[in-house]
Amino acid sequence: MIDVKNLTKSFGGHKVLAGINEHIFKGEKVAVIGPSGSGKSTFLRCLNLLERPTGGTITFEGVDITDPKTDINRLRSRMGMVFQQFNLFPHLSVLENIRLAPVKLKRMDKDQAGEKALELLRRVGLPDKADAYPKQLSGGQQQRIAIARALAMNPDVMLFDEPTSALDPEMVGEVLEIMKELAQEGMTMVVVTHEMGFARSVATRVLFMDQGDIAEQGKPEDFFGSPQNPRLREFLSKVL
Amino acid sequence: MEWLMDQLVQTFVTDDRWRYFARGVATTLEVTCLALVLGTIIGVLVAVVRSAHDSQRGNKKGLGHAVLGVLDWVCKLYLTVIRGTPSTVQLLIMWFIVFQWARDNMMLWVASLSFGINSGAYVAEIVRSGIMSIDLGQTEAGRSLGLNYVQTMRYIVIPQAIKNILPALGNELITLLKETSVCGFIGLADLTKGAMIVQSRTYAPYMPYISIAVIYLVLVLALTGLLNLLERRLRASDRR
Repeated sequence: MIDVKNLTKSFGGHKVLAGINEHIFKGEKVAVIGPSGSGKSTFLRCLNLLERPTGGTITFEGVDITDPKTDINRLRSRMGMVFQQFNLFPHLSVLENIRLAPVKLKRMDKDQAGEKALELLRRVGLPDKADAYPKQLSGGQQQRIAIARALAMNPDVMLFDEPTSALDPEMVGEVLEIMKELAQEGMTMVVVTHEMGFARSVATRVLFMDQGDIAEQGKPEDFFGSPQNPRLREFLSKVL
Repeated sequence: MEWLMDQLVQTFVTDDRWRYFARGVATTLEVTCLALVLGTIIGVLVAVVRSAHDSQRGNKKGLGHAVLGVLDWVCKLYLTVIRGTPSTVQLLIMWFIVFQWARDNMMLWVASLSFGINSGAYVAEIVRSGIMSIDLGQTEAGRSLGLNYVQTMRYIVIPQAIKNILPALGNELITLLKETSVCGFIGLADLTKGAMIVQSRTYAPYMPYISIAVIYLVLVLALTGLLNLLERRLRASDRR
């Protein structure tokens, strides 16, 4: 589904991604873990071109998205993204947040999109918040709405950039619960996370990134049960 | 007391001179409003071009970048020339050189155009500061949903930016209103010109000039009141 070949990214002279090769298959739930500064967020942000790669290619559903001629906006609408800081639109109500993109991109008319938004709100457990504004909501609620907003475009894959890192501890669970349900429904997911519990129980594959490269990967039971890479062992001993 | 009455009668009543002031106020307001509309349109366009160009750093490939580079250069030239020369001189050049073929009944339009172009340069920098004040995450959230740059600006960034820059925009509007008092240089009968005409008939400067000073002050106070009202309404969404 997403094919990454020799992906590099440098900021100025600083090399953040050192030539990554990876393939993400349809239906996979890939957790990306690693120490801060290892390039995992940059890797994720390259997948929908929020960061432009310095080199290499990324192919999404058969289309080379790094080709300047590709209509990146159309491809992005098929890749949902959830951010660490939620990034809800503070000047719009929750309902308007969710239906903005489908309506403006003419996928649905306003009423259809409103219906869909309410359905999504039920799905993330916040049916009564349609008319609220982001500032009135807790971090956990905001992030659940950000997930609903991304889902409103019916994406084929969901990218999560440390979705629970900015949350108070007691709100982490509610967001992970939504993500778990999404995984069970068969959504393809790439999740950059520090939640080892989530990586272990939900992911079908875990990637460990270190110094801009994927240092080790595997099924969660092998990955956490018998890690090979010394850096991964050291990392796991610190976080588990 | 008698002197004051005499002056009042001379300035306003004799030969229906109050009409110079009434028409003058109308002309001043017309020029201000037309220039405001034009200045806002130019200002937003220039600000969006400049911000788009700035946000492209690090991606210096392709035709889009070249076009944007040229546009940005044009905008910078516009800002430099307009902000570097007096609005009075711009007005004189506009009327006596650029539109030297124009008839006198087009004077109001030419003056509005001149002040609109002038105001646009200041509005552009105000709007740009507003755009920069909005967290980059807002743009990223919009783009990740598949909205293009212009849609993201229009529906997400600019509505929030306007709220932040309203005080500065109000300031610019007040400056604009007062700056139109040089319209008389090209013979347009605005409020100031009206007072000058009356003085040339009565040879008494006190009443006409003090009167228009008071009228300008009242106009500015009314504008300030309106702007405060608008600001309060826009801020309402913050308190919800």
